[in-house]
Amino acid sequence: MIYYVYDGTFDGLLTCIYEAFYRRENPDDIVPMDKLEENFLIQKLFINTDTEKSAKVYRTIEEKISVESLKRVFYAYLSELPKSGRNILKYLRLGFKIGRSIDDNLANDVVRTIDKISNKVTREKHLFLGILRFKMLENDILYAALEPEYNIVGLLAPHFSNRMSNENWIIHDVKRNVAAFYNKKEWVIRDFTIEDRLVLHEDEEEYEEMWQAYYKHMAIESRKNLRLKKNNMPMKYWKHLVEI
Amino acid sequence: MEVLDKLKVLADAAKYDVSCSSSGSNRSNKKGGLGNASPAGICHTWTDDGRCISLLKILMTNYCIYDCIYCVNRSSNDLLRAAFTPDEIVDITINFYKRNYIEGLFLSSAVYKSPNYTMEMIYQVVRKLREVENFNGYIHVKAIPGADQEIVERVGHLVDRMSVNIELPTEESLKLLAPQKTKEKILKPMSLIKNSIIRNLEERKKFRSSPKFVPAGQTTQLIIGATPDSDLKILRLTEGLYKGYNLKRVYYSAFVPVSNSPKLPALKYPPLIRENRLYQADWLLRFYGFEAKELLDEERPDFDLNLDPKCDWALRNIHLFPIEINKADYNMLLRVPGIGVTSARRIIQARKFSSLTFDDLKKLGIVVKRAQYFITCNGKHYGIKSMNDELIRSKIIDKTSLSEGAIQLSMFDNHHSNQIGGLLT
Repeated sequence: MIYYVYDGTFDGLLTCIYEAFYRRENPDDIVPMDKLEENFLIQKLFINTDTEKSAKVYRTIEEKISVESLKRVFYAYLSELPKSGRNILKYLRLGFKIGRSIDDNLANDVVRTIDKISNKVTREKHLFLGILRFKMLENDILYAALEPEYNIVGLLAPHFSNRMSNENWIIHDVKRNVAAFYNKKEWVIRDFTIEDRLVLHEDEEEYEEMWQAYYKHMAIESRKNLRLKKNNMPMKYWKHLVEI
Repeated sequence: MEVLDKLKVLADAAKYDVSCSSSGSNRSNKKGGLGNASPAGICHTWTDDGRCISLLKILMTNYCIYDCIYCVNRSSNDLLRAAFTPDEIVDITINFYKRNYIEGLFLSSAVYKSPNYTMEMIYQVVRKLREVENFNGYIHVKAIPGADQEIVERVGHLVDRMSVNIELPTEESLKLLAPQKTKEKILKPMSLIKNSIIRNLEERKKFRSSPKFVPAGQTTQLIIGATPDSDLKILRLTEGLYKGYNLKRVYYSAFVPVSNSPKLPALKYPPLIRENRLYQADWLLRFYGFEAKELLDEERPDFDLNLDPKCDWALRNIHLFPIEINKADYNMLLRVPGIGVTSARRIIQARKFSSLTFDDLKKLGIVVKRAQYFITCNGKHYGIKSMNDELIRSKIIDKTSLSEGAIQLSMFDNHHSNQIGGLLT
């Protein structure tokens, strides 16, 4: 058993893909460094990230397969699910063979696996466009904490940079300790942890109270249906909501 | 009264309007502005009744000059009354929006003083949001029946969606429960909005820069179960509204008893399953190529509460089935129970590469438990031996009626666009 090990970046993953093709090897999985489990039977091969090689793979996917496939692969990478490295490699092997038509070939197990993962990430991203909650801090910065299943902060940032282009905001994945920062011009993603307690804007509590009251009053008692509510918004996402 | 208390009163008064969708508009943000619209719509939370909250849905005021018997805000009702000032609404909207609580504002109102006065107040709010605050999020307002064309048009150039609620589906029902309203009064603003939308589209072909008029279109709401009107009457009206008035959506609201007038039916619970059947039928009209007359007729004017309208249709037309999954065209696939828009598209895509087996269908996410009775895969049928509609009906109802007896309400706009949007983005 051979595992390729990379630094956890998308460039790193694509470099591994490059090497697998170049060396004509077939690694059993491609795993990020921090997910690596000690196993005596596995031979580990550390691959150094090389942005020239990764850029080549990136372009080739775009040109020889499709933009849709590039998106699927990127989202599968963001899912951080076990075996996603292996699944991505399988998908790309098939993609380079059959080209653009891979997009529609959903009866194929390899394609469907990646499509499913990619859809899961898309769904969670879409959900968070709605359930993300900002708090106004005393220095007028909007701060949102979230704990998503998948690594979606980078997918949320473009949406909020369009929508709240004239605000300063932080979207903070407190599970992964990364955050997107926006300064009214552009956004960047950095490692981030908060040690001190956040100081809220003096009005913050008032609006939170209004929102809670509004939320409570919107429900129609005679139509109560908590199961439907949980189907639409699983409980694992409730922690950072202001209204629940 | 404190703003918080006003909010409680005027949210309560607005919640029976079921529309909360924020879809259909692609308004973009402006320099230095706040907000944009997302064409697929975004849900921001779900209440205890399982419905999504997308917009801040409030009334400007619940002081009303009308006395419609079905309505909680009727003038004769002994009720706490409140009125927002335009500034208060603007402030809450902006601050909720910045915290990502909402997609925008859905502003409605009881009729205060006169239709024109009320519409003018709504205009004040919308103008301030757009022109002073540079707010570019989603705005949906009610057009108040009886307001002058000029004000309605002024408002229409600033908002994303407008709606006029029909509420009661027939003239007799209106006479009985809302004697101060007439069919003409309600339909007039609807055709006005429709015509302005068409004119605006023409204008925009010539001058790209002319401001959009109600880009997300207009909608309406019908109350279900407050009057003895049949599903057939309601569905025919719906069909007419989609075809004749280019409506984007018709919403159905199961009547929640808010008064014990002898003119109203004695309901213990709102008729939620009936409401759900109408939503399902509505979907069949809009996305599945069905016509109202295929689903109901004078002999069967109401939907079967035990079975969804599509299944019911298929069983009554059992001679058309089974169909071959590898050959049937898109429109026919859509008519198979257990196959939806997404599944039909997937089948069409996937069968280009190899003919599909029953197992493949499962993998593609088709509800084979239901579809099996109506299809063949490469000539092989997986349902029961005979194509007897009664037999199949009993099989399907056995499996579903109990679990479906619980209230199923997943047909709201945002949920749907979520699925479609999920595929496109």
